[in-house]
Amino acid sequence: MSIQKLITTDRIVSLRKKTLTATRYLSIEQAKIITRVYQKNEGIPVILKRAKALAQSLAEIQIVIDPEEIIVGNRTADIRAGVVLPEAGLNWLKNEIDTLPTRSQDPFQIRPEDSLYFKEKIEPYWRGKTLEDDIYRSYGEEIEAIAKVVKINQKDHAQGHIIPKVEDWLRFGPAGLLTITKKKLAECSEDKRDFYESVIITLLASCNFINRYGILAADMANDQSAGILKKNLEEVAVVCNRLSECPPSTFREAAQAVWFLFVILHMESNASSFSPGRMDQYLYPFYKEDLKSGRINQEIAIEILGALFIKFNHIVYLRNAHSAKYFAGFPIGFNVAIGGQNKNGEDATNELSYLLLKAQDHIRLPQPNLTARLHKNSPDEFINECSRVIGIGTGMPQIVNDDSIIPALESAGISHVDAINYGLVGCVELSTQGNLLGWSDAAMFNLVKVLELTLNNGKCMISGKQMGPDSGCLSDYADFSHLEKAYESQIDYFIGKMILSCEAVEKVHQKHLPSPFLSAVIDDCLKIGIDVTAGGAKYNLSGIQSIQVANVADCLAVIKKLIFDDKSLEKQDLLDALQNNFSGNEPLRQMCINHVPKYGNDIAWVDDLGAKWVTYFALKLDEYKNYRGGKYHMGLYTVSAHVPMGQNVGASPDGRLAQTPLADGGVSPMTGRDKLGPTAVLNSASRVPSNLASNGTLLNMKFLPSFFSNEYDRGKFTSLLKTFITLPIHHVQFNVVTSEELIKAKADPDSYRGLTIRVAGYTAYFTELARDLQDEIIKRTTHGETD
Amino acid sequence: MEKQTEVSGIIFKIKRFSVHDGPGIRTSVFLKGCPLNCIWCHSPEGITSDISIWYNQNICIACEKCVQVCPNSALELIKSDEPFIQIARNLCKSTGDCVRICPTNAMQFTGSVAKISEIIIEIEKDLAYYRTSGGGVTLTGGEPLYQPDFSAGILEECKKRKIHTAIETSLYCDREVLKRISENIDLFIIDMKIFDPDQHKYYTGKSNESIKDNFQYIAKSGKDILVRIPLINKITDTELNKKAIIGYVHKLNEKIPVEFINYNPLAENNYKKLGIPFLLK
Repeated sequence: MSIQKLITTDRIVSLRKKTLTATRYLSIEQAKIITRVYQKNEGIPVILKRAKALAQSLAEIQIVIDPEEIIVGNRTADIRAGVVLPEAGLNWLKNEIDTLPTRSQDPFQIRPEDSLYFKEKIEPYWRGKTLEDDIYRSYGEEIEAIAKVVKINQKDHAQGHIIPKVEDWLRFGPAGLLTITKKKLAECSEDKRDFYESVIITLLASCNFINRYGILAADMANDQSAGILKKNLEEVAVVCNRLSECPPSTFREAAQAVWFLFVILHMESNASSFSPGRMDQYLYPFYKEDLKSGRINQEIAIEILGALFIKFNHIVYLRNAHSAKYFAGFPIGFNVAIGGQNKNGEDATNELSYLLLKAQDHIRLPQPNLTARLHKNSPDEFINECSRVIGIGTGMPQIVNDDSIIPALESAGISHVDAINYGLVGCVELSTQGNLLGWSDAAMFNLVKVLELTLNNGKCMISGKQMGPDSGCLSDYADFSHLEKAYESQIDYFIGKMILSCEAVEKVHQKHLPSPFLSAVIDDCLKIGIDVTAGGAKYNLSGIQSIQVANVADCLAVIKKLIFDDKSLEKQDLLDALQNNFSGNEPLRQMCINHVPKYGNDIAWVDDLGAKWVTYFALKLDEYKNYRGGKYHMGLYTVSAHVPMGQNVGASPDGRLAQTPLADGGVSPMTGRDKLGPTAVLNSASRVPSNLASNGTLLNMKFLPSFFSNEYDRGKFTSLLKTFITLPIHHVQFNVVTSEELIKAKADPDSYRGLTIRVAGYTAYFTELARDLQDEIIKRTTHGETD
Repeated sequence: MEKQTEVSGIIFKIKRFSVHDGPGIRTSVFLKGCPLNCIWCHSPEGITSDISIWYNQNICIACEKCVQVCPNSALELIKSDEPFIQIARNLCKSTGDCVRICPTNAMQFTGSVAKISEIIIEIEKDLAYYRTSGGGVTLTGGEPLYQPDFSAGILEECKKRKIHTAIETSLYCDREVLKRISENIDLFIIDMKIFDPDQHKYYTGKSNESIKDNFQYIAKSGKDILVRIPLINKITDTELNKKAIIGYVHKLNEKIPVEFINYNPLAENNYKKLGIPFLLK
């Protein structure tokens, strides 16, 4: 296919460079506007305040166009500026504003006048009035009491994690949606008036916002200095003018329209993970039409997509210092899905799927998060091309498995038509498109911590604090089933507490952060006149992450085998060792690690121990309904939270030291504990009940770049992907290991035991190589990367 | 009632996701014991047919538990900057007490006895991967033909399951063994080390006459063949030797591919773990 030969244009190279070299600032421009609007309108309903604040921001915010840009628009004048929306919460920024420019991870510069304005005008006004303040006031103590076991999320920012109905946005445009909403307003009951009026305010403002770009581009085009970029600016002007009045009719207009949608969503709610979803599907009609009419060719199309990909990196998500350490590099979760199936179950891969893969090859930036949907009828050529792009080493595309995911979504209550049309939000969270408020990061539940409490009378082994009920300690349990009973009761206790906290959080969200613009692009909000936060979406789910199946399996396997089956270890000896963090007892720790098989090595009885407890957890969740009347469902992913979650857990029976990371990913084995290669890992992961994890799962695997260096080896990798599609696993992503990683592996072999590498005519475990050979390979890999 | 005892053999490793010993994704079974004794052998633990103890200093934590349990007082902790366990090979009876107690698995048996059915259970774990990749099973070693009944049994069971089979061999064996085994082999990966008979005898301990005979037999059999030459500096890696082997192979059948295998730098550590001298150094 000729797509292979497409090259990056100078313009894209230049835009990409500017993106990477821009200095990041904190922007308080929108916070100022919102504060002003709220001050002026204190008496009116919150939803109208929110609508007016967004409208005013869209009208006033300084806009900038880089004359080279094909796709324009941002929520701030600077590229990659950090934004804070005051109504969600300001406490962290109040404490950290002075250290923001100097913090080690993800620093942001601040202009002195902005800092002053924030401290004197913005923060004082909002004190006590924000979502965060309200949550802490109404339920803070309860949330804090379980914090080491359950991390309740979305406490100081808006809930994102949603795929808007991009298809409708492209079909109607803001102007078309405005007409629809006006009609609804005319015939609605009194109690829906505020909602529809708010939507109308935001849609009108959206048209104006887009028009402002048209005017600016036209002005710039008319300026003497425009030079050779005059033509581009004229085109930008035409595109924006049209989009302010009608839906897009060309590929370029459609791409631009998509970007405006996400800019405005981010201006309404500064939240993580508004995801574009199946871009190769909804852009395809425009692409096909333009190709037919000769308006574009593949060269032009890839440049437009490249420009759009760069744009996805212009909005970043400002986090507090603590959070930035664990979500380093401000991931914001513009997840784009390609491939998959159409509503009849036929393969939906099209030319745009390949062009989007090629755009990833060209751009190689952190966003978008590109996901390839594979299934048993995916074309070989597509799987091969995915392998090739994975081999570049950006970790993308990640691979998801239709044949595992669609039934899981259906069992969460999603219709077949919606399930087969799924996309992903953020990292790996599963979602339908444009009709689900999935609230997919409601909470993270630390099953390993609960096991610790079960072994230790409900007491934290780190602080000694009583956290759960006293169900006994390891020495009290006469047999394994007694331990399991106690574990059940502890899990039940914390699930109960967690549900109450989640309800409290959602309740306050409804009060503070109704989102009329988002509601305009989520079915059935407009139809029934209910805001998305209040349950207006067709589907209302809440996702709870169960953490971490590998450690639970490994810990229970050690207890079962050494204590209850072989009786080679005394209960009290293990308990003492755990309480003392294995101090002075390294042989026992090593025994726990090496004398009992571990999850990830295709040992059914061990894998099943993990599977049993996540099953228990998922079924328990199913007994509850969330605040919007929808279901709670389970996710098996942590992204990078396995590090902070691990900090909360004392030494564990699997030989893990206190406060060190848990297994990564979600269904990945504990680092360094899988020793039989990728097929064994996949087989173990197959025993985890992904069918119950409709919120998504995450599996990380590492490969060396050399595995992708020639077609022969890449072919074997492609075969592995093809087998993956036949397994009941939702997701896998491949870390193509770099030399940096190898240097770490050399220094910390314990954590990299499973890392295999190509040495000469064969593959070996890296950590078993002599140090000088390791150095040699590190050098070789570095070499491989420079081309 | 008479029950036929199942054939068992000695192996030293089973490697899953083996991707460089035949087509597709494979499981390689390493059989222990070899009639040759190449001085460069990549897997010295695979040469002898006995099961002994070897020791990996890299992961040892010097806890001395092994020293305490050894019934033959064969072990001693040598204290130094990098402390290690010294095994008095003359005293060691391979009782395995040290293996069972060692918390880090630094003490290991060099191999294990396995029944054919046990091998098949391991092989079947990756059936799905063989199917999608066109892969299968590779018997290697050691010398798989050195345990003919065991190898034949495994291969027969694989074929019953329609699994692609390959064998990596030196072809140093009786013709009868080769005939019997080749029925169930799809691909022969043949290690041709040295062409000159005297040199061959000097470096491997055996002449290569029967190897050449067997090669001619296999070359005519129509089986898929891949010839590999391990590149050992100044021994096999000479222009003369490489040309001679390639010439010989292609004279019989020019379609047979010949590839070179770089020397395995892991080998030296294996000698260290076994406590035997590494002659190639």
